[in-house]
Amino acid sequence: MSEIGDIRSPQGGHRRTVILRHVGIFVSLISAWEIACRLGWLDPLFFPFPSAILTGFWRLYVAQGNIWPHLGLTMAEVLVGFVAGSAFGIGLAICVGMVDRLRRYMKPYVVILEATPRIAIGPVIIAAFGFGWTSKTAIVMLVCFFAPFVNTLNGMVGVEAEKLSMFRSMRASKTQTFLKLMLPSALPEISAGLRLAMASALGGALVAEFIASNAGLGVLINQYTSTLNMASAFVCVLTLSALGYFIFRGMEELDRILVFWNDRDRTARVGERRKAAWAAGKGGKS
Amino acid sequence: MKHLAMTTVLGAALIAGNAPAQDLTTFNAVMPKQRSANYFPLIVGEALGYFEEEGIEVNLLPSDTPIPFVNFLRNGQADIAMLDSAEVLQAVAAGVDLNVVYEVMQTAPDGIAVSGESALSDVSELEGETVGLVSDRDRVTMQIALDARGLTEDDVTTVVVGEAGPTLAAAFRDQTVAAIAGSGPDWLAIQANGIPVKLITPEEVSNKPGNTFAVVSGTLEDKADLLEGYLRAWSKGMYVATFAPDVVAKIARDTVPEEWENPEFGQQYLNNAIRLNVSVTDTLGGLNTDTWSAIQPGMQKFGLIEEQVDPAEFLAPGPVEAANDFDRAEVEAEVEAWRADNM
Repeated sequence: MSEIGDIRSPQGGHRRTVILRHVGIFVSLISAWEIACRLGWLDPLFFPFPSAILTGFWRLYVAQGNIWPHLGLTMAEVLVGFVAGSAFGIGLAICVGMVDRLRRYMKPYVVILEATPRIAIGPVIIAAFGFGWTSKTAIVMLVCFFAPFVNTLNGMVGVEAEKLSMFRSMRASKTQTFLKLMLPSALPEISAGLRLAMASALGGALVAEFIASNAGLGVLINQYTSTLNMASAFVCVLTLSALGYFIFRGMEELDRILVFWNDRDRTARVGERRKAAWAAGKGGKS
Repeated sequence: MKHLAMTTVLGAALIAGNAPAQDLTTFNAVMPKQRSANYFPLIVGEALGYFEEEGIEVNLLPSDTPIPFVNFLRNGQADIAMLDSAEVLQAVAAGVDLNVVYEVMQTAPDGIAVSGESALSDVSELEGETVGLVSDRDRVTMQIALDARGLTEDDVTTVVVGEAGPTLAAAFRDQTVAAIAGSGPDWLAIQANGIPVKLITPEEVSNKPGNTFAVVSGTLEDKADLLEGYLRAWSKGMYVATFAPDVVAKIARDTVPEEWENPEFGQQYLNNAIRLNVSVTDTLGGLNTDTWSAIQPGMQKFGLIEEQVDPAEFLAPGPVEAANDFDRAEVEAEVEAWRADNM
């Protein structure tokens, strides 16, 4: 069905109303903010005029275009750190989940690592790994490691005992038990862990950039706030918010694909498709 | 999403692009800030190709860590570090094999400021008042200033107001503290944003080296050519400001546009940087042995150092001579040619 068709349909009409309400709320809030600034109710040192922020967007993204390399660097740090940290977390959790003894000895260290504040450990990582790309990635990795690790481990050890017994009774190998039972059971939790990790990755990259970096959105925010250019600082902060939002939505989509059985509509659609394919196959044979 | 993906690729390319060019040797310099007009000799030297002429690519390591910069010299991550006089003396007292090779700022940017609307006009009037410190490091600045007027820290109440621009500006504007101890760049942004600031800094505070370049003995011996080249390129960048500040401003605008979005602030920031960075001695970056001796009793009094050190132990004047070994007329001609092409 076309988009126009969607909008004209009762469902499309409802969607349009929701969008219009969102736009209305947003415009009202921004207008109230602008009026409060103009009337002097809000301190422009802390809350710049929305119109100035809008101009700032134009300046940073188009006229000067100076935000792009910083944005690119921060995103690269986030993505590389997230992939490496999550892969390490999930990988280690799988090893630990498969070997009881390893689990007993490793867990306290992982918990201690998690309990250590990132802002405190950041300078130590910079001192150990240097000022370059490695240390920033290491900080993001550290931030992204824990949630996938814990969730994967919980998912793996939380498999129902009855199902495990059944796999054993059918003489399934360790690999088969892992691939056919533990991994699918843990996937919803792994996916939730990945979403948490991705949400933290942005914060980790910013901490790294605040401590020691030549570029990145953290550096830009520091520069702008120290020169009281609050409108431009807000542009960077809002850019980060938008980035965080899109990343989170992206992870939700990934979750819908990876753990499709958690989404009823999607499961129903997959079921319908399979049913149709099965019927067609059967029809073809008859 | 497509734009975001492209930006990420751009970021990755930027990281890959950080690899040094084949014919240049990387020289690692740890400093408190990113490329900025505050250290204009670096950006001018890079823009006019002075570092390249010396076969050097400067890998700037800007750090806001609480870890002393001298550690990065000792573990080999940095070849040269920008240290203030207190950091130098503390490191030397701790037995670090440190050599001060160049005075980047021969007067300290530290000072005591009050709101332009304040009735206070001298540090002696601070008795019984609350003094804000931009960071805890500024406590010594305040102590020296109070001492110069016969007061002690016990005569005032202190509070750390933080480095964040808006918090600092609000403290000035609302006069929640009677005075603030900090450094030049801290007030410049506030002034440029229409909040009047008045300096009441006693002479004793600024009469000390603000920032120096220091290296460990290994660098002095093994990387002498690179070190001399680095300092010579820095000196050339500094020299440009003495006869062509407009060229420096143009380079700063192009290199760090973030500092020039408010042009008034950008210009004031640069003017202050030129005042602090251009050497007052005949020799650019020259080492003032007498000053290093004179500042130590005060630092010892306020517990910054435990014992005084003979400046001969850590001042290494050798590279300064090489740093000044360049043809001024040639630099002037190059700058004029650059101006003709770019302005």
